[in-house]
Amino acid sequence: MSPAATVIAAAFLDSLTVPADTTHAIVSVLVALQLAAPAATLVAIGLPALLDRPLSERATTRLVGAGFTAAFLAGLAMLVLLSLRGFVPEQVHLGTWFSVGHHDATIDLVADGLSVPYVCFSTGLCALVNAFAGKYLHREPGFTRFFILLTVFGTGMNLMVLAGSIDVLFAGWEFLGISSTMLIGFFHDRTNAAKAALRAFITYRICDVGLLTAGVVIHRAVGSGDFERLFSGVWPHGECLVPSSTATVVALLLVFAAMGKSAQVPFSNWLPRAMEGPTPSSAIFYGALSIHAGAYVLLRCEALLDAAPLARLALIVIGSATALHASLVGRVQTDLKSMLSYASMTQAGIIFVEIGLGLRVVALVHICSHAVLRSLQILRSPSALHDRHELEAALGGHPGAGGWSVVSLLPESVQRWMYRVALERGFEEMVVSRSVVGPAWRLLERLADLERAWTDWLGMSGAERAEARAERRLRGRSR
Amino acid sequence: MGTTNPSPPVEAHGNSSQSRVGEDAGPVSLGAGPGRAVAIERALLRGSHYLPAQGPIGVFIHHNTLHAFEDEPFEQAVVHAAHLFGTEPFLSEARYREELRKGRIRLADIEAVVDADLGGQAAQTLAGGRVTLRALCMALMEHPLRQEDDSAVRWTLTENGHVVDDPATAELWQACVEAVSLSRPTIVHVRPPVRLRDLIVAVEPSIDTDALVHPFLIRVCAAFLDQGVASWPMPGRERGLFAAVVDLYSRAGGPTEPWNARLPAALSAVRGRDAIDVIAAEIDRIGIPPAVEEDFIIRSLLALRGWAGMIRQFEERPDRAPVDAVPAKLADFLALRLVLDSVAAEWIAPRFGHPDDLPGLWTELRDRHPARRGPGSVARAFLLCQVAQRIGLSSHDILALDDNEILRLEQAIHGFDGFARRRLFHLAYERRHRVQILDSLLVNAAASAAGAVAPGAKRPLLQAVFCIDERCESFRRHVEEQGPAFETFGTAGFFAVPMYYRGVDDWMAKPLCPIVVRPTHTIIEVPMDGALASHRLRQAVRRRVGQISGSVSSGSRTLFRGGLFTAIGGAVAAVPLVARVVFPRLTAALGKRAAEATRIPTRLELERPDETRLPDGTSPGFDVAEMTAIVRRVLEDIGLTRGFARLVAIIGHGSSSRNNPHESAYDCGACGGGRGGPNARAFAQMANDPRIRSRLAASGLVIPADTRFLGGMQDTCADTVEWYDTDLVPADHRADLDRLLAVVEVARIANAHERCRRFESAPLDITPEEAIRHVEGRSGDLAQVRPELGHATNAVCVIGRRARTRGLFLDRRAFLVSYDPTADDDGAILARTLAAVGPVGAGINLEYFFSSVDSVGYGCSTKLPHNISGLIGVMDGHASDLRTGLPWQMVEIHEPVRLLIVIDGSEARILAAAEQVPAVKRLVLNRWVQLVSWDPDSDTMAVFENGRFVPFRPEVDQLAVVPRSEEWYRGHRGHLPPARVAAVGTAAQTLRAARQPAAEGAA
Repeated sequence: MSPAATVIAAAFLDSLTVPADTTHAIVSVLVALQLAAPAATLVAIGLPALLDRPLSERATTRLVGAGFTAAFLAGLAMLVLLSLRGFVPEQVHLGTWFSVGHHDATIDLVADGLSVPYVCFSTGLCALVNAFAGKYLHREPGFTRFFILLTVFGTGMNLMVLAGSIDVLFAGWEFLGISSTMLIGFFHDRTNAAKAALRAFITYRICDVGLLTAGVVIHRAVGSGDFERLFSGVWPHGECLVPSSTATVVALLLVFAAMGKSAQVPFSNWLPRAMEGPTPSSAIFYGALSIHAGAYVLLRCEALLDAAPLARLALIVIGSATALHASLVGRVQTDLKSMLSYASMTQAGIIFVEIGLGLRVVALVHICSHAVLRSLQILRSPSALHDRHELEAALGGHPGAGGWSVVSLLPESVQRWMYRVALERGFEEMVVSRSVVGPAWRLLERLADLERAWTDWLGMSGAERAEARAERRLRGRSR
Repeated sequence: MGTTNPSPPVEAHGNSSQSRVGEDAGPVSLGAGPGRAVAIERALLRGSHYLPAQGPIGVFIHHNTLHAFEDEPFEQAVVHAAHLFGTEPFLSEARYREELRKGRIRLADIEAVVDADLGGQAAQTLAGGRVTLRALCMALMEHPLRQEDDSAVRWTLTENGHVVDDPATAELWQACVEAVSLSRPTIVHVRPPVRLRDLIVAVEPSIDTDALVHPFLIRVCAAFLDQGVASWPMPGRERGLFAAVVDLYSRAGGPTEPWNARLPAALSAVRGRDAIDVIAAEIDRIGIPPAVEEDFIIRSLLALRGWAGMIRQFEERPDRAPVDAVPAKLADFLALRLVLDSVAAEWIAPRFGHPDDLPGLWTELRDRHPARRGPGSVARAFLLCQVAQRIGLSSHDILALDDNEILRLEQAIHGFDGFARRRLFHLAYERRHRVQILDSLLVNAAASAAGAVAPGAKRPLLQAVFCIDERCESFRRHVEEQGPAFETFGTAGFFAVPMYYRGVDDWMAKPLCPIVVRPTHTIIEVPMDGALASHRLRQAVRRRVGQISGSVSSGSRTLFRGGLFTAIGGAVAAVPLVARVVFPRLTAALGKRAAEATRIPTRLELERPDETRLPDGTSPGFDVAEMTAIVRRVLEDIGLTRGFARLVAIIGHGSSSRNNPHESAYDCGACGGGRGGPNARAFAQMANDPRIRSRLAASGLVIPADTRFLGGMQDTCADTVEWYDTDLVPADHRADLDRLLAVVEVARIANAHERCRRFESAPLDITPEEAIRHVEGRSGDLAQVRPELGHATNAVCVIGRRARTRGLFLDRRAFLVSYDPTADDDGAILARTLAAVGPVGAGINLEYFFSSVDSVGYGCSTKLPHNISGLIGVMDGHASDLRTGLPWQMVEIHEPVRLLIVIDGSEARILAAAEQVPAVKRLVLNRWVQLVSWDPDSDTMAVFENGRFVPFRPEVDQLAVVPRSEEWYRGHRGHLPPARVAAVGTAAQTLRAARQPAAEGAA
């Protein structure tokens, strides 16, 4: 570009510089629009469906498309506005949920260099998947349900991305979890789909404990859920405002929370099973957005990680274990969707490592880039045969088995064992079920027994109690 | 379904003396004598017939889903199969009642089929002479019955206090309760299942060992059969499935799931043993008695029949394996399955108090399984009460009947249970369709005959030969609508050219002929002399692009390369993502434009230079004698032996769609799931060869010197037509070629327009120009699960002269086979036509039939969660049985009726021809197709029923007449009745009766 042009461009940009409070007002409107657009669509298509008068397919997809496109355009406008101001975070206070003494549960949103590009990206993908699914699900009995869940997801995603406090983030996160679960179990007449949905749901719930606890800790530490009070500065150069100990605890809890949604070892086995839903939802959830939700939360709270080297270490360890695990297991998967889900998992692991290493911008770019590629791959996975034939025709033969791998250096018996490990998905499920699920189950059963005994005892008269005691003794002896 | 017998109707005849020897040796014996092995092999073979016969999905060949049952009469076979597979034999009763309500079935149809079915029994009286069997049957057919079991009726009773409201019926209810308490109940004896798992589930539904075994079994089968999805193939699979799994799993090597902790031990115990031997040992371990051994084996195979069937396909046709013909054996599969079943059962056994004792468990569960089942007295009374209301029996009438009469009445009602009623409904459903079609054929033929010009009076301007495919019906009609001088023909779309074909862009030859034929010739397409250099350049560029895209797609899955690719280059994928999703038609059009721009001129190398053979044993081309025979055969088949036009187009077909694992199912069935363009091209080239013409002339078949043949291919999805070797058309035929192109252009747009009425996503008022864009868009759209509707409309097959069907709007529902009975002196042409068309047509029709009567059981249900496994088939989600058959989206609008084959030929001629083709004879005799003889010399028809032809009595002698097809179909979505299109020959206004002369009115 010539110097003159540069000068003109600079002058033009200068003239565009908007006063801070105007910007703030505009940003507030745009941010609200980001949430309101998909939420309004949700109401618009959800209400008629509730009244048993679902809209036509065309109206449904048009509305959903319009909602996401509006949110996307609002995001773009916001992006331009913020970029003019150097991505200084804009807090948008929507209200206070409750406040007790020093504790505030506020509904705060934040528009900054992380949330705004991300919200553009995610609403854009949602709009694309909506366009795809409108044709793909044509005449399917669950048509309206799919789009309701898609808008629930879109709303939740925007809420989570724009969240300015842990409370709002948690709300968005839960929307994500519930829509993901219900889309995995979309075909509710099939046992496998219902089982897979339940498995994902349980995994989510377990890891949600991390996020919830993190929220409690944050509230205790700073008297509010606001991220403002945790860290400040322009992303990605945040500065932690809490002591290292608090930061470490919160960061570790967030890592734990992120592991579930981003399918990190040992919480990864729900991911391949999640491919029970319709292809477009698999693409957007497990190829693109839901799988990276954990990583996003970590990026959001990046500043805390600066003060928590232990959490960074945990991220690196978990991420690299997941990447190794998934790339090994992925090599033996024989169906397209399992293969792609392990491929996603591998990259999610690498992204965790990147975050652990403090490569924030790299991680953000990696997320977006990976999401686009993978969702395209999942959307066109039914083309595998067609693509293969074309590839063979171009190459003039079969493409050989995958490239060279470290595994081929090992002795044959070890290789065979490695293959078995991969085919058994790294034994992850067995280990977890033996060491965690089994004991937890037994503990719950024991507790249930105790509770039953206790309630029974409470409800009995004195004579009955004596009788029951005698009977128990008798039973104990016969055992 | 209340009376469904869950026990298998598979006859167990494995009780030969040899297999008794095995039993005598005691259940602990692990040996299998040679006789035992033979018995097991036989059972495996029998079981293998019941497995789906669908090969790797890249080549989809339509076949009768119940091929194994073709030796039985159709109506019996579907019920038999329903019991064996747990599927539906017909549509649901509710669906037929809906069709009755809509008038698709009429009461008269039901009366007709009931009369035919009951025959002499119709007048039998019941209930002390108060009602005839026929009246009872009609009453049950007309009004729905609530057939509920005891607990459901009791629930209604306790909730409402009564089952009926008014006092009169309350009295009737009491009378019925009293009546059934006097008579003996009807009892259905139930044979307990033989598989341990089925017994366990029957006794304790919360425990399903298959739910434990199947994920593992699916995983190893998929790994074993994988054709290139996994980058790491299963080690040791070249030694077979069983050996490979034993190698992998017979050592302890990490934590296991609780149920299969014993697996390594169980596998190391059978290491190195023959699969049949292992099967025998596992059968003995459970202590399966020889009498039910075969049943046990069949049931064990059917429990995961998609995968078992695929193993069987690899075993039977290794030549059809896409990449690796892995040494698959059904015996290996069964041995592995039985070992896993035992391991799982042994884990479960302690819960039933039988640790380490499978025979004990098996025996106990068999004893606990209820041996008989029948409706309880409340349910019987409820049924009786409803029937009494329908046939007008009062409570006094009921009470007046003695217990024998009640029993007879109950038995008669039982004779019209759900399956029986659905069967009658189905026959009525088919009858209505049959009568409608036959009526319209007769009226149309008479009208055409009245207005016909003497053959050969005027030379046709243009002739076009299409495939018999019912999708070509509309295309042909739209060609003919443009003028009476345009003639069309139909013949099996491989045009009698059976070949392996390698196109200039292909890397290996593919068969293009019906699946039953193994070609002996390989034809290749070569770049024309001047284009060799550009061809080489193009090849090199394609290879380079292929290498890059291949390495990106495989690399994106790996750790290091994947990290790099996705992080740096992934965003590039946004371009195709947005383009494909938001601008599908534009993207597809650009791709097509690019392909056309880089296309190079080619020729077929049709004639073999000498007698050398290719490495695969085929000839590299045909000789002149062979080619003469091919040309003669097709021209004789379609009756085109004189009156040639100056230009004869030969048009094959194929279908192009995106993101569609079932793509090949839309291609040409006569080309074995391939595209028939090259066959058409080859045929035209042969028919233009002067040497061949002189040979044909020598035997009396004279093709005028000024007649040219031209090959082409129609894309049935995008409705485009591509032509071959147009540069070879001589200059003095330019005008004819231009006319052909113009006629076809009009026809393809009209065809797209007619097709669009069936697509809900195309508005009903779409214009023809929008319609052609719409179908082109569908073909290139990644998100489109219904690129086209395939054979979903097939129902009829007419074998005969086009003159008799010309002008009839058949709504793309009829295979039209050109055949001239007057030129077929000895019936040889009919026999070979039947042999070529019968099995292909019936295969397509029956596959659609079964996939639509039971989309989950016979079809592969909805496409949406489909997941390609191993490049050989689709699963539902991440781990399910391989789903065979057709997806719901393909059969959604299909009307399941058996193919109505109408042959322009005398009864004797047809019977003689069918006799010569065993495959067709079996289909006809067992009524898997409906066969109608249409007398060539008169307007009489006869329907083949119960082994003989029965004269057909027309019901109407009128047919709606419209000037053009569009007037008839415009604004309608559903199936349309036939109509006569005046544009092709006759004037407008409703035709009345056959023999009234109609004025000639050429458009």
